[in-house]
Amino acid sequence: MSFWRDKTLHPYIPEIADEMLRGRVDRREFLRTATLLGMSATAAYGVAGKLTGGEIIPSANAQFLTGVPKGNFGGTLRVSMRVQPMTDPATFDWTEMSNVARQFLEYLFITGADNITRPFLCRRWAVSRDLKTWTLFLHQGLKWSNGDEFNADDVIFNFKRWLDPRTGSSNQSLFTAMTTSAPTGKQGRDGKPLMSTTMAPGAVEKIDDYTVRLHLNRGELALPESLYNYPTAIVHRRFADEGGDISKNPVGTGPYKLTQFKVGEKAVLQKRKDYWGGEPYLDRIVYVDHGDNPGASLAALASNQVDLVYETPVEQIDVVDKIPTAKIFETVTAQTAVARMQVDQKPFTDKRVRTAVRLCQDHDKLLLLAHRARGVAAEDHHVAPVHPDYAPLPGPAQDYRLAKKLLADAGFAGGLDLRIDCRKDPPWEVSLAQALAEMCKPVGIRIKINVMPNAQFSEIWDKTPFGLTAWTHRPLGFMVPNLAYRSGAQWNETHYSNPEYDRILDQASSTLDVKSRKQHMAKLQSILQEDAVIAQPFWRSIFAAGNKRVQGYELHPSVYHRLNKVWLA
Amino acid sequence: MGVFILKRLGYMVVTMFAVSGLVFLLLEVSPGTVATKVLGAFSTEEQRRLWLEANGYFEPLLTRYFTWLGNVLTGDFGQSIRFKVPVGDILWPRLLNTAILGASAFAVIIPLSLGLGVIAGMREGSKSDRAISITSIVTTSIPEFASAVFFSAVFVFWLKWLPGTSGMAEGFNFKELVLPVMVLVIYDFGYVARMTRSSMAEVMTTPYIRTAILKGLPRHQVIIRHALRNALIGPFTIIMLQINWLLSGVIVVEFFFAYKGFGALLLEASLNQDIFLIEACAMVAVVVAVVTQTIADIAYTRLNPRIRFA
Amino acid sequence: MNEPSLKILPRRSLLARTFGLSMGLRHSTVAMIGVSLVGFWIFVAVFAPLLAPFEPNATHLPFAKPGTSFTGGAVFWLGTDHLGRDVLSRIIWGSRTVLFYAPLATFLAYVVGIMAGLVAGYKQRWWDEILSRISDIVLSFPVLVLYIIIIATIGASGVNIVIAIIFASAPGIMRIVRGLTLDLRNRDYVAAARTRGESSLYIMWVEILPNARGPLIVDACLRVGYVIITIGVLGFLGLGLPPPDPDWGGMINETRAMALVFPHMTIFPCIAISSLVLGFNLLADGLRELSMRR
Repeated sequence: MSFWRDKTLHPYIPEIADEMLRGRVDRREFLRTATLLGMSATAAYGVAGKLTGGEIIPSANAQFLTGVPKGNFGGTLRVSMRVQPMTDPATFDWTEMSNVARQFLEYLFITGADNITRPFLCRRWAVSRDLKTWTLFLHQGLKWSNGDEFNADDVIFNFKRWLDPRTGSSNQSLFTAMTTSAPTGKQGRDGKPLMSTTMAPGAVEKIDDYTVRLHLNRGELALPESLYNYPTAIVHRRFADEGGDISKNPVGTGPYKLTQFKVGEKAVLQKRKDYWGGEPYLDRIVYVDHGDNPGASLAALASNQVDLVYETPVEQIDVVDKIPTAKIFETVTAQTAVARMQVDQKPFTDKRVRTAVRLCQDHDKLLLLAHRARGVAAEDHHVAPVHPDYAPLPGPAQDYRLAKKLLADAGFAGGLDLRIDCRKDPPWEVSLAQALAEMCKPVGIRIKINVMPNAQFSEIWDKTPFGLTAWTHRPLGFMVPNLAYRSGAQWNETHYSNPEYDRILDQASSTLDVKSRKQHMAKLQSILQEDAVIAQPFWRSIFAAGNKRVQGYELHPSVYHRLNKVWLA
Repeated sequence: MGVFILKRLGYMVVTMFAVSGLVFLLLEVSPGTVATKVLGAFSTEEQRRLWLEANGYFEPLLTRYFTWLGNVLTGDFGQSIRFKVPVGDILWPRLLNTAILGASAFAVIIPLSLGLGVIAGMREGSKSDRAISITSIVTTSIPEFASAVFFSAVFVFWLKWLPGTSGMAEGFNFKELVLPVMVLVIYDFGYVARMTRSSMAEVMTTPYIRTAILKGLPRHQVIIRHALRNALIGPFTIIMLQINWLLSGVIVVEFFFAYKGFGALLLEASLNQDIFLIEACAMVAVVVAVVTQTIADIAYTRLNPRIRFA
Repeated sequence: MNEPSLKILPRRSLLARTFGLSMGLRHSTVAMIGVSLVGFWIFVAVFAPLLAPFEPNATHLPFAKPGTSFTGGAVFWLGTDHLGRDVLSRIIWGSRTVLFYAPLATFLAYVVGIMAGLVAGYKQRWWDEILSRISDIVLSFPVLVLYIIIIATIGASGVNIVIAIIFASAPGIMRIVRGLTLDLRNRDYVAAARTRGESSLYIMWVEILPNARGPLIVDACLRVGYVIITIGVLGFLGLGLPPPDPDWGGMINETRAMALVFPHMTIFPCIAISSLVLGFNLLADGLRELSMRR
């Protein structure tokens, strides 16, 4: 087959195709890695289909392929979602504001609802073997809504902005591999010198009008995923000159145009017939803000004032079932809550105590009690089955006898009093804390639950010795460990520090071959499980309620809205 | 009279100073959490510190207060932290919405409660009086949120007659006003009705009225010509004060039905420590309170010749 | 023309007076209904541990319909909520919360309001000026708005809610007490006490206050009812007592989104609150009726 000899493909792709043929890697894994390494999705599906026999284009993925599924043109989709102020995409801090923007701004890559990342504004890309040099080939002939052509200047402008400390973007910490730090000469409040982080010189290189090369100072496997993170929308190169506010000057490459925007009230988008990805179905999209009242969105859906709700909490599912015109969109995610213990605070300094807590969990029952059994039981190591690099590692089941013994060994034969901090909203977290506390009672661990208002909790979430922290979905398995369990990581709430763990994590984060990466991850997972740093009951599914007429909508695990292939029956 | 009004104005200004200062003090109790609310839970200490500094939170309290005061006197109410627009842009439209809601509610409450109150007062001790009184007491015992939930369940989900929220997203829609008005009416009419009733009952027992009846005047003429005028003095002032109550009463209703009004705005501002917005809303509340109180007092003086204010 | 003779009535003991009051209540059906309602809930609150079939926070079976049986022969008489907790038990225990905080807060507000009102009405002059001004300022602020701002800033907890209630209610009480004091200070017995040389404090507390109790008791009943609703509203807006302890307003708030399909979770707490408030309102009404009849 010509594809084996295609020099423009990443050299690793034929290898993994071979693995797939031999049955060592499944089709899904091949698709994911091949597209990750620059093969177009259509080609990858085609190749996979040919190699394994039979067409395998799943209808669910139709919206991400260039093949056009049947749908009705026209109509207005009304969505209930908070309409938050949006000015500069690089400083977005809530998903909702990015959803309005996502209808007219686009990203270099896209991670679909199936957790597979594909190129988007870039046509394809190539990466060096050491994962340090990424070359992005952009689409040609793509027009902004103001008529300008989209080209490398736009992309370079965006990268420069993100890495500039004056922009104040969280993207800077996302792309640390393209930055350098230098002391400013001033001192911070804690006496340490204040560092200033800026773009490393030469990190972004323009090859030609449609090609950009990125030079990283260390290998990054997850660069494509990072380029779909919600603050990385690509804005026009003159964004800063023209006011730096997309709500007032919504120039974008996307399928819709922003025609009206009122914070706290509504946002209206009109379709762009000349959209480069094909004419969208819906004429108009209206986002309606219903305040912080979750019941209001439901009531609006029931009385046909909206057609789709941004997110539906798990308690409302049964109600939606009873509304004849509504249905539930559901998706499995890597969203979770961990009861995490700080390893440098008594009594959690003793691994036996932590293990005892871990052993009290009946994961499936906790899932039933706290989340109506919608989700997947977890294994206390923070890597989910939905992650492609997940290695199955079932942990020990609930074991009260062992837990009691461990407690006694640690000196707490008479029982142990603990306090767990959790936040008031969403309610499933409170019920999880309660269910967990009930489960620990039989071994003598008495947990007092301290429910705090969300604002207060966000002040102390990483400082409390024992807390229930919710983590959001991230597409790859090693991403959260990098953020949470690496020594000294920014969000290392447990103060866990294990050089062995860090070493393996480094390896995993730069291993291209999925099979070897899984082996690293298996080691990683078992270390964390052994060390009992967290008690993690389950991974939860998320839901969005909508009218039965809404077709083609796929609920993304991060609830990103991409609505140009949605249509109304 | 002019002196009286001037005194009241002066009093209003003093109150506004006091209240605004008090609000500043209150919000000063935990300033750090503002940054967290704006920037989100996952922001770093550094980011929060920078934000606080950029927004002037490290300056002394008095400086901030007087800066704000100075701005207000020149018409600049500041920028809302939550909505990121000038306070005026979001405050006045919302206030107008609440005024519409309030006016609609009163359009029902006033005739309903006055009417029922008069009938009950006229026939004190009778069955209809009993019925009206009991209904009034029962309805004022049902909290607004309870009746809101109940009506929503019945009219939105079960009967499907009415829309579930009142966001007015597609322009003004009268149907969306029905439920919020219903809830307000149910809760409030009872109180006014009972006040009217006792006022009417009292008037009916005065010698003046009894004489008129004894003289042979037809009963309804007595009522309409003589009794009503005296009986309605009290209720009128009560109604004025109810306007003030309304600013509180709408909060629950606006929150529940997602109506874009002043009450929901104030709730959201308070929950997010949006200081300039809260201050502006507080000032509005004080003005409404003092104005309605003044009108009530003046009206009371005018309508009742036996009372005069020094 | 007969001169009214100076009748010096012996003061009846406190017990006798309360007894007389209670017996007097008999004459008003309205008051009796009110007393029964309030009494019922007080009974429930006191005997909560004996009456509640389940632990209020224990999770069992989510969304069970009223009357569902459970293992061990126990029955969820009013069903369970979205977290599987028995509604009846939560209502029973919730009565403790309500009947603890509402009367406590009202009582404390009264203490503050009475002291301020007595002083303002009796001492007058600049005491009156200052206290009246302060109370006017607080009163000119819409009450719920005041609560929200206070709670949203100092955080929601039992103590804070009580403080907020005291702050918001005391001025109104002060006004009433002040008015009554102004009226009563001119009575004979007050003058008599002054001639005897009693201190102002004595006069205020012993001579004036007891004679003002009629309207105050009526107001107190109404006010407790209103405070109960306020606590409920705060719970409804999410500013109430922190979970998981049962609090009727919070219960309604947590379950209202699902009220369509599982109305029992929301309706029963609504009925509970309404009935308790109704009880206090009827009691107040009956007392007022009685005092007018005398």
